[in-house]
Amino acid sequence: MTTPKPFTLAKSRRAIQWMVVVGTLVIGLRHIMPGEASRGGSFDSFCAFGGIETILPYLFTGHTLKSTNLLNFSVLLATLGVALVAGRAFCGWLCGLGAIQDFVAEWTRKLFGEKRHIRGRQSKTILPLRLPPAVDRPLRYAKYFVLAAILITSLYMVFPPLREFCPVRAVFGLKMTTLLWITLVVFLAGSMLVERFWCKYLCPLGAALAVFNKISPARLVMDHHHCNNCGRCDIECSMGIADVPHQLDHPECVRCMECLDTCAREGSLTLQIGYKENQI
Amino acid sequence: MKIHPRYYPAIIIAAYVVFLLIGFLLGFLPERGGEGYGGSASMQLACSTLGIPT
Repeated sequence: MTTPKPFTLAKSRRAIQWMVVVGTLVIGLRHIMPGEASRGGSFDSFCAFGGIETILPYLFTGHTLKSTNLLNFSVLLATLGVALVAGRAFCGWLCGLGAIQDFVAEWTRKLFGEKRHIRGRQSKTILPLRLPPAVDRPLRYAKYFVLAAILITSLYMVFPPLREFCPVRAVFGLKMTTLLWITLVVFLAGSMLVERFWCKYLCPLGAALAVFNKISPARLVMDHHHCNNCGRCDIECSMGIADVPHQLDHPECVRCMECLDTCAREGSLTLQIGYKENQI
Repeated sequence: MKIHPRYYPAIIIAAYVVFLLIGFLLGFLPERGGEGYGGSASMQLACSTLGIPT
């Protein structure tokens, strides 16, 4: 008789990420089928960020931007719902781009000679890099400027401002333009160079969701009596957060729960629902 | 309240589905054509109540 394999969040997350990637590709594929584009809205209308791009024009004029429609608001509402409950968990679990970046980082490590990833052990491969804090920290603010710029320019645009450079369209849209090819190359090269490059530095949706990490009730709690600051969780953090146990509601955290899965000391990190302090 | 990590994915997916359905109930439904536009009845009512021109 075989014993069942122990449950790990990492495996569930990877399965969900694959489902999201395949599902998004199916939506993209459907929109390049002859006659299908006219049924049920454009590819852009399935995007949560499309809802942010079109919300100001909708409030001021009563109309959404072209290529978006009311479905964007439902998808945005669903994304905000996840954020209200679990912070940036959408980025870590349900975002197609986040999934692709995780896959690319894993494949890059394999390409550069890592045979098998051992949890909690620093990878010896050259790529993906971890940028020094002096460079990394200022760059992280870029996404907030991207968000602000998009919100302002959306008032003067006919199509969503990010549309021509949108990595979701570049990766999943299957209707390529020169600008989208450039975006795709930059996105993939960036993801090989720096893990979750898009999420860390440029994603305006991540910028919009960051604040929810401070207020969402589903959160990790660290127990000082158990944690010995071994640093295994820091190594596994794809967002490169330093000192993870003391930064559990950090705005950059995508709630992937790799830290919880990696933690070797039972009881150091626990998942809780409620508004207690996240350190006990 | 402690929760088993096993339930975390279900919590995320449930939150997504519930709020997506709320969006649909508010009238934010997919439209044919892909060229955007449209006004949800509930949104128009909210805007007119608040005095926001639509």
